[in-house]
Amino acid sequence: MTQTMNTREGLQFFGRVSASVSHEIKNVFAVINEAAGLIEDFTLMAERGVPLQPERLKNAANSIQGQIKRGDSIIKNMNAFAHSTDEGVREVNLVEILELTTALATRLADMQQIRLTTGDCEPVSLSANPFDLTRLLHSSIAAAVDNLDAGDTLSVSVKPVNGGASFSLSVPGKDAPLKSDESFSSLAQAMNVSVTMDEDSRAAVLFLRAQ
Amino acid sequence: MAEKVLLIDDEVEFLEALSERMELRGMNVTTAETAGNAVTALDTNEYDAIVLDLQMPDMNGIDMLKVIKKSHPEMQVILLTGQATLEAGIQAMKLGAMDFMEKPADIESLTEKIRKAQAKKMVIVEKKTADKVNDILKSKGW
Repeated sequence: MTQTMNTREGLQFFGRVSASVSHEIKNVFAVINEAAGLIEDFTLMAERGVPLQPERLKNAANSIQGQIKRGDSIIKNMNAFAHSTDEGVREVNLVEILELTTALATRLADMQQIRLTTGDCEPVSLSANPFDLTRLLHSSIAAAVDNLDAGDTLSVSVKPVNGGASFSLSVPGKDAPLKSDESFSSLAQAMNVSVTMDEDSRAAVLFLRAQ
Repeated sequence: MAEKVLLIDDEVEFLEALSERMELRGMNVTTAETAGNAVTALDTNEYDAIVLDLQMPDMNGIDMLKVIKKSHPEMQVILLTGQATLEAGIQAMKLGAMDFMEKPADIESLTEKIRKAQAKKMVIVEKKTADKVNDILKSKGW
């Protein structure tokens, strides 16, 4: 029963991320479509005798190149996320997994006008299930974003602590409590991750023990 | 007469390129990156049609559509979105959207829909004006 629930919730998470990524790619295609269309418009106008304006052509071409870079980055992240299911538990570079999760959650934060950044991290690797860890970090970002106001900046970072690792979610000048979420709490419990508030930094802290 | 269009989308480069293409086709385009900016634009200017994205940072497109239809019932709204599902399309049409298009869109189809929107709005406004005149005449016993 619990295994079935975990599988279903894992699939739901995979589906949510895939939907968000596909929406972003659609937006990339939409910009490329309009920029390429603009170049076509300029060409048709030139055929009718309107002088070509190199600066406008250059802007449209730059826009296409920029969107191709953006699309490539989105696909690379999706590919890394998809491969997180390849193995169960393995040695995971936690800075890399945090950066990947931050990239995957950026749209979610953008939709609530929250700026999501990766703060200062210290290199740390631990044995963990990368898919579950991504899901946990994504859920924690979602739980933090739900408690913030438009215009806030949420900074996430990781550092080694006592043989394990601590992920910190902080907002300059205010508390960063995580909104109570049953799915997030049960996942944290299953992964033996403790969630606390650091009174000094006012950050939410997720402590991941070494397995 | 040039169609006056309000284009609402949070993708700045998309807004810039699409508005330029629409202007090359003779339209008068205002852009808004947020629902808040769109509401301000609507309060201060007249438009023939609105092209609206379904997902925006400060308000989703369906809620924005409700706001527009409440304050400007005659306004013709075309939803243009990357998140095109049949359910969202049906919901938008039920709420009074004139049409629903998927990104990336064909510019000629979009401009055609905008021209239809302008014509449709004009008919509605003319009918409203005629009804008002009739009401005034009736109230005076004519």
